[in-house]
Amino acid sequence: MAFSKSRILPIAVVILRVVLGGIFIYAGYVKLSEPWQLFAAGIADYEVVPMWAAKFLAHTLPWFEVVIGVLLIAGRWFRTSTVCTSLLLLVFFSLMVRAFAGGKEINCGCFGPNELISWKTLVRDGSMLAASLFLTVIAFRNSRKPGVTLKAPGPDLADYRE
Amino acid sequence: MKIFAFALAAMLPCLAAGPDVDKGRSMGDPAAPMMFELYSDFMCPACKNLHENVLPSIIRDYVTTGKAYLIFREFPLNIPAHVHSRQAAGLAVAASRIGKYQTVSDALFRSQQAWGASGKVWETVAGVLTPAEQKKVQALVNDPAVLADVQRDVDRGMKAALSQTPTVMVTYKLRQQPWTNFVDYTLFRGYIDGLLKK
Repeated sequence: MAFSKSRILPIAVVILRVVLGGIFIYAGYVKLSEPWQLFAAGIADYEVVPMWAAKFLAHTLPWFEVVIGVLLIAGRWFRTSTVCTSLLLLVFFSLMVRAFAGGKEINCGCFGPNELISWKTLVRDGSMLAASLFLTVIAFRNSRKPGVTLKAPGPDLADYRE
Repeated sequence: MKIFAFALAAMLPCLAAGPDVDKGRSMGDPAAPMMFELYSDFMCPACKNLHENVLPSIIRDYVTTGKAYLIFREFPLNIPAHVHSRQAAGLAVAASRIGKYQTVSDALFRSQQAWGASGKVWETVAGVLTPAEQKKVQALVNDPAVLADVQRDVDRGMKAALSQTPTVMVTYKLRQQPWTNFVDYTLFRGYIDGLLKK
């Protein structure tokens, strides 16, 4: 059974959605299962936002990550969820690169406490950002195709047709 | 009997990895439910800030109330800018042997900038000791046991993968968590109070 390009792409998109969504749900869950002060301290260590903002983000960001993850997996509001994911990852990645380049030995804060920023975390988050940007491009490209719904690529999309 | 022997053998590593406390460098009740191990470097400005502005609150809220046992650990950073850190740590540990750790560490942090620039670490320490105490500390500072104590603290910090000073290693119910952000004390207090309620 030969897979054509038009068949592989929707499958790849679904896999990326599920993987990225799963990672986001896990990241949010880990932060929510720890005392919020640990995450707030981690955000404050980046020295880009004031302490009140770090506290606010520590309370809200994990829930936002879970919601984004669920939306990605469910394929609902696909354009919105992919744009939010890409923007979020772009901010995370930029801050991590800035901290790493500045020689700061601080926690990444990605999946709870006690994970220092390193080449490994940069490659991991960079890969996630690339995947998210790819999904965003797909979401907007599909929305411009006549007869294709804005829903996430799935089995009912016209993309499957030759 | 076999079960007892196995249990004892299993417990040995735990005993070996115990807190390894120097009584002269600790405060509070060793039986307190929580343990704070404060890793600091006498040449680190953030450690000075913690020592002078945050530590009194930590001692007031948790050590004197019997909620936490505080242990001071030396973690002289091996970087060119901190060239006198290890000497200062050695002198502080030597002073702890005669019950003068707090006096000496207060003095070292108070005039950190001065001796950091001049290298006059001993003069700073001597300034807060009587002549008799000075003699004892001078003799102790070259004692291999004192030097080994400093190195043991450093090794302990390295093993815990400390990334910066100051770090307070919080141990509660067999779980360890390093805490490094002391910009806002209420954050640390909220975290500790939350743990103690569990």
